[in-house]
Parts: sequence; structure tokens; C-alpha cells
Amino acid sequence: MRKIMRSVAVAAAVTLVAAGCADSGGGSGSGSGPIVVGSVNALSGAATFPEASAAAKAVFDAANASGGVNGRQIQYKALDDKGDPAAAATAAREVVGADNAVALVGSSSLIECEINNKYYEQQKILSISGIGVDPACFNSPNISPANVGPYHDMTLTLLYGSEVLKLDNICALLEIAGNTLPSYQAAIDEWTKITGKKLTYLDATVPYGGSDYTSYIVKARSAGCKAITVNPVEPDSIGQLKAAAAQGWNDVTWLLLTSVYSENYAKAVSNAGAGVYVPAEFYPFTDAASSQNKEWRELMTKNNIPLTSFSQGGYLAAKYFLQVIKGIQGDINRESVTKALQEMQPITDPMVGTPYVFGKGKTHHDNTAGWPIKLTTGSNKWELAADDWLRIPKN
Amino acid sequence: MLQGALAGLAAGGLYAVLAVCLTLMSRLVRVVNFAQSATGMFGCYVAVYLSVHAGLPTWAATVVGILLGGALSALLGWIISTWLAEADIGTRSAVTVAVLLLLISLSFILFGNKPQPFHPILDGPAFSVNGVVVSQVTVVTVVLSVAIAVGCRALLGRTSFGLELRALSERPTTAELMGIPAKPLAVAVWAVTGLLSTLVISIVAPSQSNDATSLSMLVVPAAAAALLGGFRRLDLAVVGGLVLGMAQGAVAQVDSLSVVRYFLPFLVIVGLLLWSQRKEVWDVAR
Amino acid sequence: MSRAESGPLTRFGVPLVVTGAAIVVGYLFSVGLDGYFVYLGMSAIVAGIALLGLGVVTGSAGMVSLCQLTFAAVGAWVVSGLNRIGAPGGFLVWLVCGGIAAGLVGVLVGLPALRLRGINLAVVTLGLAAAADLTLVQIQFPGTVDGVSVERPESFSDDRGYFWLGTIVLALCCLLVHFLRRTRWGSGWQAVAFSERGTAAAGASVRTSKLSAFAVSAALGGVAGGLLTGQVGLAFPASFTAMQSLALYVLAIMSGAHLIDMAVFGAVLWVAVPELLKRWGVPQDWGFVVFGLLGTHALTTGGNLGTAVRELWRRRSKEAAGVELTAPPAEVDVPPPGEPVLVVRDLSVNFGEVKALSGVHLAVPSNGVLGVIGPNGAGKSTLVDIISGFLPQATGAVELDGRSLNGLSPTRRARAGLRRTFQQDRVPAGLTVGAYVRFVARRRLSSSEITEALEFFGCPPARTPLRRVDVGARRLVEVVGHLLAKPKVLLLDEPAAGLPHEEHVALGARLRQVPARFGVSVLLIEHDLDLVRSVCDTITVLDFGQVLASGPQAEVLANPEVLKAYMGETELL
Repeated sequence: MRKIMRSVAVAAAVTLVAAGCADSGGGSGSGSGPIVVGSVNALSGAATFPEASAAAKAVFDAANASGGVNGRQIQYKALDDKGDPAAAATAAREVVGADNAVALVGSSSLIECEINNKYYEQQKILSISGIGVDPACFNSPNISPANVGPYHDMTLTLLYGSEVLKLDNICALLEIAGNTLPSYQAAIDEWTKITGKKLTYLDATVPYGGSDYTSYIVKARSAGCKAITVNPVEPDSIGQLKAAAAQGWNDVTWLLLTSVYSENYAKAVSNAGAGVYVPAEFYPFTDAASSQNKEWRELMTKNNIPLTSFSQGGYLAAKYFLQVIKGIQGDINRESVTKALQEMQPITDPMVGTPYVFGKGKTHHDNTAGWPIKLTTGSNKWELAADDWLRIPKN
Repeated sequence: MLQGALAGLAAGGLYAVLAVCLTLMSRLVRVVNFAQSATGMFGCYVAVYLSVHAGLPTWAATVVGILLGGALSALLGWIISTWLAEADIGTRSAVTVAVLLLLISLSFILFGNKPQPFHPILDGPAFSVNGVVVSQVTVVTVVLSVAIAVGCRALLGRTSFGLELRALSERPTTAELMGIPAKPLAVAVWAVTGLLSTLVISIVAPSQSNDATSLSMLVVPAAAAALLGGFRRLDLAVVGGLVLGMAQGAVAQVDSLSVVRYFLPFLVIVGLLLWSQRKEVWDVAR
Repeated sequence: MSRAESGPLTRFGVPLVVTGAAIVVGYLFSVGLDGYFVYLGMSAIVAGIALLGLGVVTGSAGMVSLCQLTFAAVGAWVVSGLNRIGAPGGFLVWLVCGGIAAGLVGVLVGLPALRLRGINLAVVTLGLAAAADLTLVQIQFPGTVDGVSVERPESFSDDRGYFWLGTIVLALCCLLVHFLRRTRWGSGWQAVAFSERGTAAAGASVRTSKLSAFAVSAALGGVAGGLLTGQVGLAFPASFTAMQSLALYVLAIMSGAHLIDMAVFGAVLWVAVPELLKRWGVPQDWGFVVFGLLGTHALTTGGNLGTAVRELWRRRSKEAAGVELTAPPAEVDVPPPGEPVLVVRDLSVNFGEVKALSGVHLAVPSNGVLGVIGPNGAGKSTLVDIISGFLPQATGAVELDGRSLNGLSPTRRARAGLRRTFQQDRVPAGLTVGAYVRFVARRRLSSSEITEALEFFGCPPARTPLRRVDVGARRLVEVVGHLLAKPKVLLLDEPAAGLPHEEHVALGARLRQVPARFGVSVLLIEHDLDLVRSVCDTITVLDFGQVLASGPQAEVLANPEVLKAYMGETELL
């Protein structure tokens, strides 16, 4: 049992050394030190979204280079949650508790909102997520993402399929990870409420990260589906498209979400059936000539950050944040930032179809416009499918 | 149900080939190689990398990837037969668990976790039965699994090389005394199974979702299939793989059974163990 | 040198004191550390408990378990489920329930997997981990969908308090494992890791040993999962992926988690490696690559951090302990052999076409020593295997004290009073001499009883770790253990092998006294004719699986058939 003693000593030593390292972080209580801004992101593991925080960092770096905010530099800390809940909670405690950040900006993670929203409330700190995914990102008081979110995006893609493409027999294959089913169901119900149409068929048992989707595709085909809406991550969607192609099912239309909108995806898809349609949550970045994205594109290219929806979200979150805190009179600390965000005026940006506002709402799910784009067989690139935003009509 | 079963046949062929590899490994070099499909995954990813970033034509990149998969497997075999020549199957297999973890993480680092633009070697339907299309990939994997099993059986049973291999696996010390080169032969077995699993994963990966984790975890259903043959019999391993794939496909047709689908390999494993162990048997070694 | 084991005060007192100290240190950490490190420490505690469990199953019992976090998920499920329905008792009760539930799942999974040896458990557990992974993502934990977070106990509700609670739970788990390993179960784990046959021959059930190890490990996993749920508030499938189970297993191998301190140290690594990578700006994925490399290294070299550290710690006292059999034993009256106690009739077994034994008859007299001799390959060891039940396919009758043993497992035969030793070393190196003897004896022994028996056979003292006992002495320790079990008959398979020749006679003199001193009849298989001659009243000679001659010593050894067929080298006589 002496061993236990020794190990405790070792553990203590390691922890204390690490604790010593921690103090170098520096706080941002008040005065002239840097303004600490944090984010919690999926940077490693099986699904990663590094671009949002990279883009936010680029925005802050640019702001710092031109003198900072009221003479103070912004110190941006992007932490990794590894897709692991405990790590996500730990990261939040590091940046909010130890580093005393004024706000979280540009987070993009699959689980972070769900895990940390209560903690943020407790610590009275607000988070402008770059890309929010889980439902808690959209229905908690202290988080307001810059993006539309998969739920409104699903309503939009269904609207596009039924109203613009005039498709009937739309089916849904839902990959349910976490507690997302009620939210997707609500999105589908909203579509039904607007159009009076119903899904031909709904399969909410499609595995997330499965290896072979052939049987689900066969099942959908035999149910008579003409179009399929899915909420996939990229690899899964590719698997599904390939399974359909292998079955020779070439006249199916895919109504997908922004989660598949990337150049990698377009390159990986060789057979897109009757086309893949996506309502992009931000102005489509693949439209290289667009003026809407010009500023963003230049900054990203300069910093070697991939051009994706994620970097658009992170970029916008940081821009919104900068604009708000520049208007703060007096000291910039967590309290004043929170107050400013809650009382801000809506900000309009050409990259999104809905003005952004944080406000004092209990939920933040007000971004309701997407820009339709499409991917057709053999093109291997995304093209605009409309010349204006598609909006969810207000009741 | 039939539709689903046919749809699952492609996966079944893949399981079967991997199960044959696992069986060969277990029989000939005393190891249950948990990194079997991970090596294949890694080889494929390198192939994709080469074709995208080095501009190699698809076929050349694929060949290089397959060779690399074989080399990787051979390296692992060399490590194990050098340092763990006398160790029991448990320890030897445990090494492959560590390697499985290593390869998955390494592929995240090297290739990221975004979908890889695989260029299909085979594409599209081959023929259709009852309205269900059987894809070319399905045909090739099923044929391949049977061919590999038959080929290996012939090799082991009919040739002197096969005789040496069997001698080595059954009476290692005697075989070494007779001057059979144990280590090179073992490494050769590793290399060949590495080549085979990379080959079959190269064929299948473009036609299904192909992230590193799901490709590496293919070893689970493959192990279930191999267990049908008790990690000894190649024919039963093939049958096991095909049946398991078809069963999974069939079960996926019923919504209420969707969770069962995940547990199928596990249930098969447990069921087979119960069956194969009706009587307690003591082996000589322990 | 004292041959006694340490007294009860040290045995129970020291661990309790250390546990108390650990809890105090935990409290100091919880108030003294930065809030972030308190939270990080909590993750280490969770990992520590899971690793402790893995240490039991992989380290002590030598099995490959790849689904530790699936058991954690069971614990998390139970805790969040009980929280969701507002079950009475509060968090701590739920935590215990979670542990128990995970243990039960462990038993269910383990039952089919543990009967056959080899790598099956690894295949089963990986299959379970993969299936549970996918299933959890789909069905989710109770309370997650409606965001009902788990309530921590009132007095430990903030992060610091909860960390202290975590240290208490961890310390208690360490204590539990420490004491469990000193029970029969614990010795069984060590024994089964080293040799299943040895375990069965000691009258311990191989299946119970494996299953108890697996269940304890699963229960600890469940506790870890429950604690994690309290830490994060909600349970998420992402905490319990197959990948992380694999990593945890590799970490357990690498750190040597069967040693309690190394499980704790492994847990520190579990959080420190990612933390350091973060500070150095290295992508987190390298963490598992590092674990993978170190794990491969640990496995191929057969060492781990734990043993490496221990080697450094006690570099002194490295020399192996041996046998001291110099002085002749005190004289005792040797009573004459009585009626047969073990009777074997018409024993036959075939291995394929080969008739290993055919129609063997023999009888071991009570209070006597029967010698069985014969050339190599005559079937002597096969005979012992059949009598002790390791070859159930054999035909013929084995009767002990008039009761038929046919159809009984080796374990049951051992418990019925028929013990055996092995030619090969089947003594688990992880135990001390005393613990092993107690395990084999299967009855309450006083320290003096053990000391006396060990001294009689010149064995090293009871507290010596078997790791430091040489092979010859280990075999005698095995003999001592079985003799102390007070069986009716003990089958000794070449007990002198591994001893220097000059000690054979000294051993013989002691074996001669075994019936008188221990009340045990002996069937002695031996190569060394000098030894046989000095010990055995009656001898049976085997050749080509058949009895060649049987009877009083002088008669048999004078038999010309024996001379011709068996000896060949007459000068030995």
C-alpha cells in the first residue's frame, strides 16, 4: 500500500506542475490587458470542425493588427473538446473559469452547447457560436449561433423540394445522434404546416457513421420515394449516394443540409442521382465572383483557411462580436459585453439572409434563410440554384 | 426481407474476405489481428492521397496502396514474430489492439476526417433479382471471398509451401529444427493477409461510407464470421461472412429491429461461443 | 529470518491509513487547486476507477477486455435513469446501483465468453463495444433528450466538492480492490492468469475466477460511468466510444494497472498527455498515437511502467530464493500402508490413432506412497491427467475412498480430496508464497501451520513473492499447498525436477514422512529411481501405456521384464 502513497505524490507533483503552468494565461479582469475571448471546438477525433475558430481568429488578428478594440488587444483561445463531453466541460471551465473570458465566439462543436449552456448561464457569459448543431445551441438563453442551424435548414430544404422543384413523394432518412429527433420532427412539422404536405415515409433509424447504407436505400426505394431528405455528415451522405448509385437508382433527388456543402464532398460524389440540393446557410462560398463573400474570401485566402460554411460562420460570429464591443462605452469585461450583446441592434450582413441579433430571448432560433445550391451528376462542383434567399415564411 | 438480404450481400462479401484473413492469421501465425481492416483502411487512404496529391492514376495509386497495406502488415508481423515469438495468442493479439488504435488516430492526423474522394474501381449495378439490383462490387467481393478461401485451402493442402506453413503452426519447434524458416514464413503470411484486406477494402471503400473508424471496425463482423469456423475453417468463415451480411441487410428492413442490427455480430459471436463450448476442454498449454 | 506473514494490524491498518491520507490529500487538492484543474482532476478520477477495473481483468486475471467504457455507459445509464425518474436515495445510492448493474451485465457477457480460453473475450468485448457505441448514439441516455441533468449530492454539489467526493470514491475503490486481491477470489485471478489447469487443480473453479474478475472490473467501470455523469451533468454516448475503450485498455497494459498506484498514475497520464499536447500546440489525435506506440512497446518487451518503476525501487534483493533441504527431517513413525484409498480400473485413452493408455489398473494404499515409473512416453503424465479429470474423454473407473469420480471436473475432484501437482511450473508469480499456499489449501490455516510445513520442505518464507522464488522451490511450494489442503490422495508429477540431484534424497526422506505427518496418501511419478526407491513401498511400472509390473518395491525392481523393457540402462539399478 505504500505504492498508493507514492502514486498520490506523483499525481500531486504532476498536477501542481501543470497548475503552475496555468497561471501564465493571464486574466482580463479590467484595465489595459488583453480582452480574452474563447471558443470550444471539435478540433480532433472522428468529426472535426477547425475552420470556424480559425476564421474567428483571423478576424481578431486583423482587428489587433489595426490597433485592437479601444486600444486593447484581443486574445483568442480556441480549445479542443475532442468530441468528448468531459473534455468539452473542462474546456469551458478553462476558458471561462481560469482565463476569465468576456465571451465565447465562433465555437463549433457537436456537443458543446448541450453540455455547457447551463454553465454559461451560471457564469453569466454569452456565446456566439460559429456553427451550432445540437438543439441546445438554439434553445438556450446564453447561446446564439451565427448560422441557421440544421433544423431550419431541414424545413428550408423540404420547402425547396416541394415548392420550387415541385417534387412529391419526399421521404426523410434521419440520422439521429443525441436528442435531435424532436427538433427535426418539429422542422418537418413546420414544413407540413406551411405547405400542407406530408412525408411519404420517415426512417429515423438510419445509423450515424454506418458503413453500408444499401439496405436503407433499398427500403426507401421500395416505399416509392422520389426525393430523399437526409441530415447527414459528409461521409455518411457519400455512403448513401453510393449505395443508391450501386442500386442503379439514378432518378432520386437528394434534399440535403449545409453539413454536406463542401468542395471535398463535391469531388467525392461521382453520381448525384437527379441532383443534390442544399439551402446554404450562408451566401454560397463556391460562387467565387460574388461580392457578398469578397471580404471573407480575401481574409480566409490570406490566412490559408479552407473556404467552407464553417469558416463563414466563425468569421461572421467574430465580426458581429467586434461590432458590438466597439460600441461599448467604458470598460470591456464580461458584464459589459453581456449587456451590450443583449441590447444590440440587429446587424445586417450580405452573407446571411436574416439580420443577426443576440437579444434577451430565452431561445435563439431566428435565422430563417438559406440560399439554394445544387450539385449535379458529373459536375463535381456546387452551383447556385437560385438568385435570392429562400425564406421560411412567417406564419 | 429478400431485398434487404441481397442488399447486405456486398457487406457480406467484405466480411467474408476479412474473415478468411483473420482465420489464416489465427491458424498460421497464432494471432487474432484486430488491426486487420485498419491496415487495409490505411493502405486505401494512402492510395487516395497519392491519386489526389501526387497525381498518380487511380489504378497505380491503388496498387501502391495495396502494396503499402501489405508492407504495413508485414512490418507488424515482423515486430510480433521478433519480440513475441514465444508469447501466447492473447499477448500477440493485444499488440494488434494497440496498433488498431494507433492506425485510426494516425489516419486522422495524416488524412483528416473529411470524406476521401475515392475513385471507384468498380461502379454501378451488375444485374437485378426480383427488382433488387446486385452491384458489381457485390459480385466481385463475393467471388473474391470464395476464390481466396479456395485458393488458400489448395495452397495449404496441396503445396510443399503450405505443408511448411502448417508444420510451423502446429509444431513450431519441430518445424524450426527441421530448418523451416519460421520468421520469414510468418512475415509472409502477415504480408499476404495485409495485401488481401487492403485489396478488398480498396474495392469496397469507394462504394460505401469510408471514414477511418467505420472501416477499421469492420474487424468486428469479420471476427464474428471467422468464429463460425472457430478461427480454423476457411469455408465456414466465408459462409459466416456472407450470412452475417445478408442477415444485417434483412434486419435493416424492419424499423423496430434497427438496434438489433448493431448487435447482430455480437449476438452471433456469443451464440457461436456457447455452441462451441458445450463441453469444457482443456488444452495442453495452460 | 521470520517465516511468518505480516500481522493483521499491518495487513488492515496500513491500507486504511493510506486511504485516509489519500482522502485528506484529495480534500487539500479540492480546495487548493485552480478550478480548471479540479475539473480536470475529476476526469482523471473517473479514468482511474475505470483503469482500476481493467487492472483486475487484464492485469491480474490476464484477459483482454475491450469494452470497459461500455460498462461505464451502463453505470451512466442507471444513474441518469434513476435521476430521471427521481428515484429515492440520491446520487450515491444511484452510483452504487450503477456499479452493481454494470457488474451484472459483465456477468451476462462474461458467462459465454469465459469458458473457452484464448482470445474470445477480446472478440466478444470488442463486438459489444462496437454495438453499444452505435446503439447509444441512436437511443440516447435517459434525461438527455429533455435535458434533465443529474443532481449531485447536496454537500458535494460544486465542482470542488464533487472532486473531493470523487477522491473518496476512488480511494474506496482502491481499498476494495486491495482487499479483494487478498481474498480467495483475488488469488484465483492471479492463478487463472498464469494457469487454468493449476487453478482447477487447486480446487478453484476457473469459471468463477474469471467471471468474478470480469464482474468486479465491470462494476468499477459502472461506478466510473456514474461519476462521469455526475461530473458532466448529462450522459452522452461520445464519452463511451469503442475507440476510448481501446485506448483505456492500451493504457492499462502500458501502465501496469494491476498495481493500484499504477492505475492512478495511468489516470494521471490519461489527462496529462492531452493536456500537455494542448499546451505544446500538438493536435490531440497524437495522444492516442502515443498511447498506441507505448502500448505496443510495453507488450513486445513484456514490461510496463509499473514493473519498471518497481525494479528501480527495490533494486536490492533481486536474487532468487531457493530450497534449503540440507538437514534430515526429524524421525516419525511411519505406519504401515492400509487399504487402497484410490483405485483405478481399466483406464484407457486414445489420442487419434495412438493408444496412450490401455487397461491400466492401480491402487494407492492409504498411508502409503505408490511409485509409478516408466520410460519417457510411457503415459505417466497422461495417467495423472486422467485421474485428476483433465482428460474427460478417457474410459475406465477412478474411485476415491469407494466413491466414483467419473464425470467430475478437475475442480470437483480436487474438492473431493484428490489433488495433483504439475511437471511444469504452474505457480502464479504474482502472489506471495503464503497467499498461494492459502489459496491452494482452500481451508483456514494458522500462520504457524504454514510456517511449519514450509520449513519442513525447506521452502522460502511465507511472505516471499513467488516471483523471486526459483523454479525448483516453486514446485515444492506447490506440494506444500496441496498437502495443507489435507486431500485423501496427492498425485505428485515429478516433484524433484528442478532440484539439484543431491537434494533428491533429502526430498525423498520428507516425502516418505508425508502420510504420517499430513495424513495424505501419495502417488509419486518420478524419473529418479534413487528417489523412488527411498520413498515407495509399492511400485507400478508403465510401458507403452500398459502396466508392465506392479507390487512391492523389491519384487518389481527385480522383475527381469522390467529390467529388459523399461530400463535398458541396467547400471541405473
